[in-house]
Amino acid sequence: MRTSAGQQTGADRRGPGSGEVAAFRNVSKHFGQVKAVNDISLTLHPGETVAFLGPNGAGKSTSIDMLLGLREPTSGSVTLFGGTPRQAIVDGRVGVMLQSGGLMPDVKVRELVQFACSVHPRGYDVDEVLKTAGITEIADRMVDKLSGGQEQRVRFALATAGDSDLIVLDEPTTGMDVTARQAFWAVMKAQADAGRTVLFATHYLEEADSIADRVLVVHRGRLIADGTAAEIKARAGLRKVSFDVHPEDNADLAQLRNLPALTSLDISGHTVRINSDDADATVAAIYRAGFYPRGLEVTGVGLEQAFITITGEQDAADESASLAKENAR
Amino acid sequence: MTTLIKLEILRALRNRRYLIFSVIYPAVLYTIMVSAYSGATSLGGVSIKAYFMVSMATLGVVGASLTTNATRISLERKSGWARQLRLTALPGYGYVAAKIASTAATTLPAILATFAVGYSEGVRLSGSEWLLLGGTLWLGGFVFAALGVALGYSAAPDAVQPIVMIVYMMMLMLGGTWFQFGGTLLKFAKWTPVSLYNQLGRVAQTGGSVSMGELAAILGYAVVFVALAAFLYQRDRKEA
Repeated sequence: MRTSAGQQTGADRRGPGSGEVAAFRNVSKHFGQVKAVNDISLTLHPGETVAFLGPNGAGKSTSIDMLLGLREPTSGSVTLFGGTPRQAIVDGRVGVMLQSGGLMPDVKVRELVQFACSVHPRGYDVDEVLKTAGITEIADRMVDKLSGGQEQRVRFALATAGDSDLIVLDEPTTGMDVTARQAFWAVMKAQADAGRTVLFATHYLEEADSIADRVLVVHRGRLIADGTAAEIKARAGLRKVSFDVHPEDNADLAQLRNLPALTSLDISGHTVRINSDDADATVAAIYRAGFYPRGLEVTGVGLEQAFITITGEQDAADESASLAKENAR
Repeated sequence: MTTLIKLEILRALRNRRYLIFSVIYPAVLYTIMVSAYSGATSLGGVSIKAYFMVSMATLGVVGASLTTNATRISLERKSGWARQLRLTALPGYGYVAAKIASTAATTLPAILATFAVGYSEGVRLSGSEWLLLGGTLWLGGFVFAALGVALGYSAAPDAVQPIVMIVYMMMLMLGGTWFQFGGTLLKFAKWTPVSLYNQLGRVAQTGGSVSMGELAAILGYAVVFVALAAFLYQRDRKEA
């Protein structure tokens, strides 16, 4: 399929046979005894912006390596655009920004980006790519003399040097300050709006929360959650309750420990912060116990807290499963 | 592919270390060796000046082939650039092919620089002899480019540096670059890669004929180095 070098619209990308961008079917990867990836199945659809979350060592990088054909799965199959990952790369359908993507030293930024444009089957004009990545001013700088944030933008330019359908970014904003990160995601959003599928691994949960329309959570090699950020937060079921207690109330704060549905309690000075499984019951009990909470707030927890909760649940489930196994012997 | 080759050549020529060790160093060493041996008139059957012109050219070529390939490949494997290239439409062998092509381009200045110094010292050959000698030395360089690729895939950068130095120095010493061994050691030393390479150059220089055994040996080294490079390269890709 050959197309012009211009930017395609989202509608154009959804041609026949493009119903799935990538598919993992029961994919496992073992390194000796270690199951880095354990039976993951998932499908990426055209136009999605997907965040890939997980603590270090969860299997994110190994999964991305398999997605791109850099590693072979021990069992199961990986397809990209219905074929092998290598074929998809040769066809220029994938742009990649690796976490450890070293750059060629002793060359100028423009020369390196020019190379990426010329090697891509549907490469863009080098000036356009430099401009989009915001590195026109440093185009004549040597690659070895860049700051960490500038290097990241050069890597981004390499990933977007041609008309790819899928863009894979492994921890793209590592080493960027807050402003650079915001600028980066603004550019990335434009890529997604152009109809490209974007998959990014990150450990900045607020990035996943605000940018992705789908979040995948991997933990200990398994896919333990797959949904929108809101769904994952709802699944964790947690709510945050906070209020102040006036000193004149002479309230016995120790009583707060007996509140129902409590998962955590934090009292600092006169401010009480509670995480609750059932905020309605907790709040009712606060009043019943005779407290007079001031400035009561009930809010959903952030993705970060939800993430900690569901990975913790998974750990607990794993532990009881292995205990049950032990006991059965 | 051609863009990558162009880039590789460009960055090799821009590198100051390359310029010093592969072009200037052999030329300077040549003048030193010639004056150190000023008492002797011939070595290995040819004049001192002619002898060292060949052995300093081979020193430059082998040095350029080993360092530009081995050191860079191991560094670029570590930095992740080699991986990044695997995620482009470039064919899998493209990276190594570009490295070897750029070596071939960067060894030429090393050869020409020694020739220039040799000429200024009074070495005289006919036009066709210069061409034959230059061509032979240039082609022979590919054998060492393959060895450089193999070494680059053999270990991490901090280990590759000393490995390259040891291999380089051993090969030069046994190869008769500085002096010629005598007796039984010569019997062994003359079958080492750099010795054969020097021998090939000397034959081209004096218009003699190369023995079938020597030719077979150097081709044998070429095959072994290429096979080793291919094997280590495949192993590296499996490890991702």
